[in-house]
Amino acid sequence: MSQDIALETVTKKFGDFTAVREVALNIRAGEFFSFLGPSGCGKTTILRMISGFIEPTQGVIRIGGQDMRGIGPNKRPTALIFQNLALFPLMPVWQNVAFGLEVRGVAKAVRRKKAEELLATVELADSAGKMVSDLSGGQRQRVAIARALAVEPQVMLLDEPLSALDLKLRQHMRAELRRIQKRTGVTFVYITHDQGEALTMSDRVAVMSQGVLQQVAVPMDIYNDPATAFVASFVGESNVFAGRVTETEGGTGRIETEAGSFVARLGAGVSRGDQALLFVRPEQMHLGAAAEAALNRIHAPFSHAEFEGNFVNVFCGTDGHKPLMSQTRSDPGVLALTPGAPMTLGFESADGVILPAGELARE
Amino acid sequence: MESRLTRIIVKIYLIVFLLYLFAPLFVMVIAAFNDSKFPTVMPWKGWTTRWFEDLWADDRMWGAVGNSILVGLAVVIIAVPIGTLAALLLDSIRGRTRSFLYGLMVAPLLVPGIIIGISTLIFWNRIGVPSGLHLSTVGQCSFICSYVMLMVLARLQRMDRSLEEAALDLGATHLQTLRLIVLPYLRTALLTAAVLAFFQSFENFNTTLFTRGGATTVTIFIASRIRTGVTPEVNALGLVLITITVAAAVIYTIRKKNTAAV
Repeated sequence: MSQDIALETVTKKFGDFTAVREVALNIRAGEFFSFLGPSGCGKTTILRMISGFIEPTQGVIRIGGQDMRGIGPNKRPTALIFQNLALFPLMPVWQNVAFGLEVRGVAKAVRRKKAEELLATVELADSAGKMVSDLSGGQRQRVAIARALAVEPQVMLLDEPLSALDLKLRQHMRAELRRIQKRTGVTFVYITHDQGEALTMSDRVAVMSQGVLQQVAVPMDIYNDPATAFVASFVGESNVFAGRVTETEGGTGRIETEAGSFVARLGAGVSRGDQALLFVRPEQMHLGAAAEAALNRIHAPFSHAEFEGNFVNVFCGTDGHKPLMSQTRSDPGVLALTPGAPMTLGFESADGVILPAGELARE
Repeated sequence: MESRLTRIIVKIYLIVFLLYLFAPLFVMVIAAFNDSKFPTVMPWKGWTTRWFEDLWADDRMWGAVGNSILVGLAVVIIAVPIGTLAALLLDSIRGRTRSFLYGLMVAPLLVPGIIIGISTLIFWNRIGVPSGLHLSTVGQCSFICSYVMLMVLARLQRMDRSLEEAALDLGATHLQTLRLIVLPYLRTALLTAAVLAFFQSFENFNTTLFTRGGATTVTIFIASRIRTGVTPEVNALGLVLITITVAAAVIYTIRKKNTAAV
């Protein structure tokens, strides 16, 4: 069982500060939905409004069609996994898991059995009697999940639960969370500032900045078809060129920039004469023969290269400017270049996108 | 060189400080064994245990000890819940109301015990309640509650708030959250507060003096003996109390270590 969530132009103000501004979106039942954004973008505020710890200043939140105004966190069909997990330190693991059943008056033997079943599904069957402090980070994570699942929530809310784990464990837990979500069919709402987490796990992602919803889309569209300058700069790397749009025709346009005149796809909301930003992903910025054959070309001196293993980041440009970045497969020739060597970079018009000038993500 | 000098100074300071704390107790203990009519160490008139025999046979003294224990327990039973509830209230509100209520709760600590004693006496006698140990209990509670509140509040403020939120999120009512999460977390603080409340009551003199009616507690008993002449029997009582306290503290520490090891 799972339910959908509707945010109807939800605004939350703390005094003069607007944490969330007129956010409207629908989260489908059974969906893995992520809110992605830098800290302070309002994503945690949204999560706390859905869970019922704070009420929206304006707007309505509906879960399964039901208006949630005035309904406390203990009466909502949601379960929240806290950033610090908030496991109860004075209870053994099984009592943590069974807590939601205990407060519902379920008999001790029944809830112990249920807790052990849930612990088995998260592969912690032999830890039922241990204290939380005796568990590792990943084990605690799974106890928190089991505890939330015990109350059979319609909606599971997760507040950056993986941020405290090391890289390997984090990647393992991503797959684990995804597996649990698919098996239980519960609607997952996931909060993160880590684009890797959001893109790998989610059915759909909402990108937020300064309390404003920037884009809601499937992960591939977030990366390939960003709606705003913020999304393009926050998710993944980009070469950014500022300039003025001089021609538009169908879905493409020409933009005049300091680095030259380029033809690229037009994003929504850009018209002729506008100040705009052109974004080109480093893996679409070609070198060598591919660059010479491309429609848009830039000449710049070689600066330096970074060997990343399966690929190399090549940086070109003169001092004082943000260097241009091209990502190519490992090629020993690139690493042998001397600084200042003349280079040609190029990209096809379909691989660049022109978006309205706007706020960029801080680096 | 300097760090060595610093260490020596710290050591000397520590020794002087501990001497200052414990020398009077040491003198008192030795005096309990001096075969002199006065509770002194000098002049030394030889070892004796007769003051302990006198103490054992002194029914009035034991009656006073019994009264003190009775009042102490009553104070614990009344002051710990009131102080705890006050701490919970102060912890859940903010702003001016909190400052005002906090000031109100702490004020009795700043009022001299004599004044609390006299006020308690006048107030309750006016409305027809006679003096006695019950009135001493009420008078002592009026400021011991504040100690309890301060200790519980200090512990509450270190509590991870998300634990309460997690309990609510899992469907617990506020009362269930209090019973299953908050009170177990406060357990140590409540025990400590109870012990402190008991000893605050046990050693109280000022407030008790005015409210006791005809009853006698240990402090009152010793004070009344000063007029008629104190004998080292008082020192013997002191040694008995110290022994009990130290023994309780040692048992508590050992038990705590054992539970921590599990």
